[in-house]
Amino acid sequence: MMKKICRFLSPLLIAALVLGSLPVAAAPSPAGGMVTTQDALAAERVQSDRERIHAVLARDDVREQLVAQGVDPAEVEARVAALSDAEAAQMAERLDQMPAGASVVGALFAVFVILLVTDILGLTNVFPFTR
Amino acid sequence: MMFDCPRRQPTSDRNARPAGVLALVLMLLLLAGCASAPRLDDTTRAAVAPRVLLDDVPFHGQRDYQCGPASLAMTLQHDGVETDVDALIPQVFTPGREGSVQPEMLATVRRHGRIPFVIEGRLDALLTELDAGHPVVVMQNLSLPAWPLWHYAVAIGYDLEAREMILHSGTEAQRVESFRPFDATWARSDRWAFVALSPGELPSTIAPQAALQAIGDFEAARGAEAALPAWEALASRFPDHAMAHFALGNARHAEADLEGAIGAFRDAVASDATLAPAWLNLGLALESAGRSDEALDALRRAAALPGRWQPHSREAFERLSEEARRSE
Repeated sequence: MMKKICRFLSPLLIAALVLGSLPVAAAPSPAGGMVTTQDALAAERVQSDRERIHAVLARDDVREQLVAQGVDPAEVEARVAALSDAEAAQMAERLDQMPAGASVVGALFAVFVILLVTDILGLTNVFPFTR
Repeated sequence: MMFDCPRRQPTSDRNARPAGVLALVLMLLLLAGCASAPRLDDTTRAAVAPRVLLDDVPFHGQRDYQCGPASLAMTLQHDGVETDVDALIPQVFTPGREGSVQPEMLATVRRHGRIPFVIEGRLDALLTELDAGHPVVVMQNLSLPAWPLWHYAVAIGYDLEAREMILHSGTEAQRVESFRPFDATWARSDRWAFVALSPGELPSTIAPQAALQAIGDFEAARGAEAALPAWEALASRFPDHAMAHFALGNARHAEADLEGAIGAFRDAVASDATLAPAWLNLGLALESAGRSDEALDALRRAAALPGRWQPHSREAFERLSEEARRSE
């Protein structure tokens, strides 16, 4: 039952979102008809309209993901607003795999030995006592 | 000595097979042989001071996983921003990832009115920025690619003779790392590094296109007034770069400096006569200044150039020539 509703609702939601963002994305003409620096830079990078729509959707996506990752909802808006389009798109795509300073190294003994040796060789810097 | 951004995990005390260990050591020796020591260009060596230490960069030791906020606090405070680690944690730290991601490090710099410039990933660029007095936030993977241990630190100096970097890193102020291990750990983040500068200051090493993007992103987040000094600086650093003058013209126009904007757009088309948006904006700015003849000329040029803005330019040109005909 739930699945059926979802199957019916999802295309509608997607359509609504895309249509809702169209005016923002496709008509970037500023006051007075001047071309903005950001539009000119985007055009230099041959950014298509589809990518611009994607960027708008990406920000909504990042908002949701940040809340899901435990960021205070009161902070999320300001955090997303400070991102550039490219950064927002990047985060929407792969926030969960991005390098985040910092993650935790695995606790396997083999890993410990390898990292100990690489530390001593000066390839890594995991353990404080190796230098 | 330091404790890195993540806490160290307890290790199990199972014994590994001696043969396996031997194989590993051999493999790693091979690896170490491949990893060559980083080399500096002779021009860099000649251009920078042999030893630099920015000892006015404040130090904040990280707690738990907070190397991102700590690194930001150090660089921002050095540039005169009133903030601290506790204020920065909710702005940049992502609890679910137990860390801070690169785009948000840059975004947080923008929120504090500074422009983040990602510099070229080379030791030469890093040392040149330090020589210019800019502390550099670097991202390192202290471990191997298979078990990453991502870490942010602030480079504050170096010693060419001793081949050493000096960093505020983790819980250790002015930590000394030899060039080789530093470069090996930095290389695993594709040598990602950025400086945070006040609008009007530019990195010593930045390429015009990268600077345009950095300032453009800052302007989109903080507005033309905040970005104007940066555009002024960019246009005087790269006087032949048409887009720099174009961006400056837009910022001046947004700040109601019409004559200034016209001057900058004229510089833009003088550098690159095929930059259609500059002709278009020049025409529109001249029109609002009441200089219809010059405006018509500029719009005619814009309308003749193919591209994204041609329809818009033609429309503006036809509208203005219609008005000119009617007033005759």
